[in-house]
Amino acid sequence: MRKSIMLGSLLVASMAFAGSVSAADTIPVGHLAAYTGPTSGVGIPFGAGIDDALAYINKTGGINGKQIKFETVDYSYNAPRAVATYKKWMSNLKPVAIQGWGTADTEALVKFIAKDKVAYVSASYSGHLTDPTGKSPRTKAPAPYNFFYGPSYSDACRGLVQWAADDWKAKGNSGKPKFIHMGDNHPYPNAPKAACAAYAKELGFDIAPSIVYSLKPADAKAQCLSLKDSGANYAYLGNTSGSNISLLKSCGTVGVKTQFLTNIWGWDENSIKATGDAGDGIAWVVGAASWKDQAPGMKTLRAISKMSDPSGTKPRMLHYVRGVCGTFLMKEAMIKAEAMGGITGENIKKGFEQMKDFVPAGLEGVCSPSTWTAEDHRGTTLVNVYTSKYNGGDFQMKKLATVDVPRRDEWLGW
Amino acid sequence: MASAHSRMKCGEFRTTYQQDTTIFPTPLARRVAVLSVIFLLVAPSFLNPYFLNLGIQIGYYGVAALGLNIVVGFTGQISLGHAAFFGFGAFASAWLNNTTGIPVFFCIPLAGAMTMALGLIVGIPAGRIKGLYLAIATLASQYILEDFFSRADWFTGGAYGAMANPFSIFGFEFNNDQRYFYVVLFYVVIMFLFGTNLLRSRDGRAFVAVRDHYLSAEIMGINLTKYRILSFGISSFYAGVGGALFGHYLGFVSAEGFTIMLSIQFLGMVIIGGLGSVMGSLMGTAFMVLLPELMEAGVGLVGHSAPGLTHALAYIKEMSIGLAIILFLIFEPDGLSHRWRMIKAYWKLYPFSY
Repeated sequence: MRKSIMLGSLLVASMAFAGSVSAADTIPVGHLAAYTGPTSGVGIPFGAGIDDALAYINKTGGINGKQIKFETVDYSYNAPRAVATYKKWMSNLKPVAIQGWGTADTEALVKFIAKDKVAYVSASYSGHLTDPTGKSPRTKAPAPYNFFYGPSYSDACRGLVQWAADDWKAKGNSGKPKFIHMGDNHPYPNAPKAACAAYAKELGFDIAPSIVYSLKPADAKAQCLSLKDSGANYAYLGNTSGSNISLLKSCGTVGVKTQFLTNIWGWDENSIKATGDAGDGIAWVVGAASWKDQAPGMKTLRAISKMSDPSGTKPRMLHYVRGVCGTFLMKEAMIKAEAMGGITGENIKKGFEQMKDFVPAGLEGVCSPSTWTAEDHRGTTLVNVYTSKYNGGDFQMKKLATVDVPRRDEWLGW
Repeated sequence: MASAHSRMKCGEFRTTYQQDTTIFPTPLARRVAVLSVIFLLVAPSFLNPYFLNLGIQIGYYGVAALGLNIVVGFTGQISLGHAAFFGFGAFASAWLNNTTGIPVFFCIPLAGAMTMALGLIVGIPAGRIKGLYLAIATLASQYILEDFFSRADWFTGGAYGAMANPFSIFGFEFNNDQRYFYVVLFYVVIMFLFGTNLLRSRDGRAFVAVRDHYLSAEIMGINLTKYRILSFGISSFYAGVGGALFGHYLGFVSAEGFTIMLSIQFLGMVIIGGLGSVMGSLMGTAFMVLLPELMEAGVGLVGHSAPGLTHALAYIKEMSIGLAIILFLIFEPDGLSHRWRMIKAYWKLYPFSY
């Protein structure tokens, strides 16, 4: 009996303090992170980059003296949970900007944030988020409040097939190379599928039917055998790095000779180490400076890293750096918004759309220049293609090419 | 004199069948129920949106949990596929509304009916098997439907999910929590009254008979297969309506939301609330919805001194649900509703309880 009475009083007590209200002179920002779930391998470093960058901004004076009040929620890569979190935020936190994560949830939220006028910086670089007006015939829904730092998945994949076409010729091959798309049946791997295949076809590739492999890391020998049977010369991997590690290891065992290409989330320092020799020679997209690079902005980056690692010894991954870049772009957009008369979602959007070949102050050489306009939210179409070598643990990353993907009107929103 | 005697009851005595089958066991219970509905009717005007959100969640999950309780608690069958039916209702309502333009107001019961039809089909094999075999059969329907959701682009939008319009009637949109609260409250009252009534009817008592001793029930002339299938059908109707309410509240329906995990959570709700209790379904749902929030609030309180806890919040939330189910199975297998009856009995006889 006493137990149940205690339980009741606990419930009542929790209700009393659960609904907190935000202070007036702070800037409310939401952060949807994937610290658990199938994409946590890349979600953890990226989310840490955002959290550290926000803490650093607050420590160094905020936005013209105003502190950013941010709330980080781990939504485990579950789109409905992201939408539920968003709805909860809109009733208490009332964010003017959100740092988001996956493709499924970001695309699900497009209409909501457009209605509520919340600037949304996603870790999803889906091409579907690049058309703010909806004028492109490819666009299903206009995405006026969506921004992301880097080339879209579609443009990145186009850059990779462009590189593959050059590679095919450079190696002295003749005939038509064969291209294949691999990934889970999920919005994120699917986002560039049609767009990239269309461009590959245009460049003279044969397109093999795509192969599905799980976003959750699992044995993929069956898929590797299908890949071998398909005779594809170039395979685009659409999943994140955790899943690619197991795929490449499986394919190494099966003896696949295909040249693998993967997107910005598909490969990183951790996967190079975990995959070992089986991962050598993969071509992937890199969107920012790496931890070992020398650049003027590295000083700021290392100071940001010290927010959660005071010793300053922890090496940070590529995803971390991009998390910092996306957050600092949001900060600059907020400063521009303040100059326009107030930090609202609408002004932050306009702030972003004023940026031209823009690099956030303090991060020169770390973040790539980005440009947004009111008509076109493709921040950049430059695709940096890198490759890696395991080298017995002392791995190396080498730039293969920078591909300037054409900015075609009909590719907007695709 | 007689009236004085009737007021001085030292227990609950029912002398007619009518008294034994009233919806509310005592006049006080009826008054409390009516008053709480009236309280909930005025609640949106002063409650903070956070609590309204929790109330809405308890509402739509509660409707679905009652459906599961009809199958598990009253008919004694097991279902591991409830989340899939919940999801089917959500997709069906969004699909009906998006493709045919039928107002959401009508789509919700129609989605319930569609889900019921599906439940009756799934129930056909399920009506002939029992125990572990039934568990596996319903598990199969869970996976079949989940896969269907992620592939049937025409129906669910495939991997991208479907957008669901806000609830509207004659052009008036219930697009915020204050308004939607009434929609959910309406359905909760209707569905729970229907559920209570069902169990007073011949069909409802047949369910209980099937649960208590299927052989005796059959000897008494109860068609086992018919009632098992019917139970699945009614349960699916509840799941479908609950799912449709969920879909139009969130505005977005995705296959990812209706996994086996949610099915287990539904089972957790009816176990914690009390198998075979209508009100228990609502209590268990409230418990399951509020527990993670309670954990979050608790972590928020001590989070400043232990920042590691904040990062572990996701784990703590998931873990607490599992722990709650285990603790209830050990210490209170009859659920919250039984505990509530005990509390009432204690006070009714206070201070002379025996």
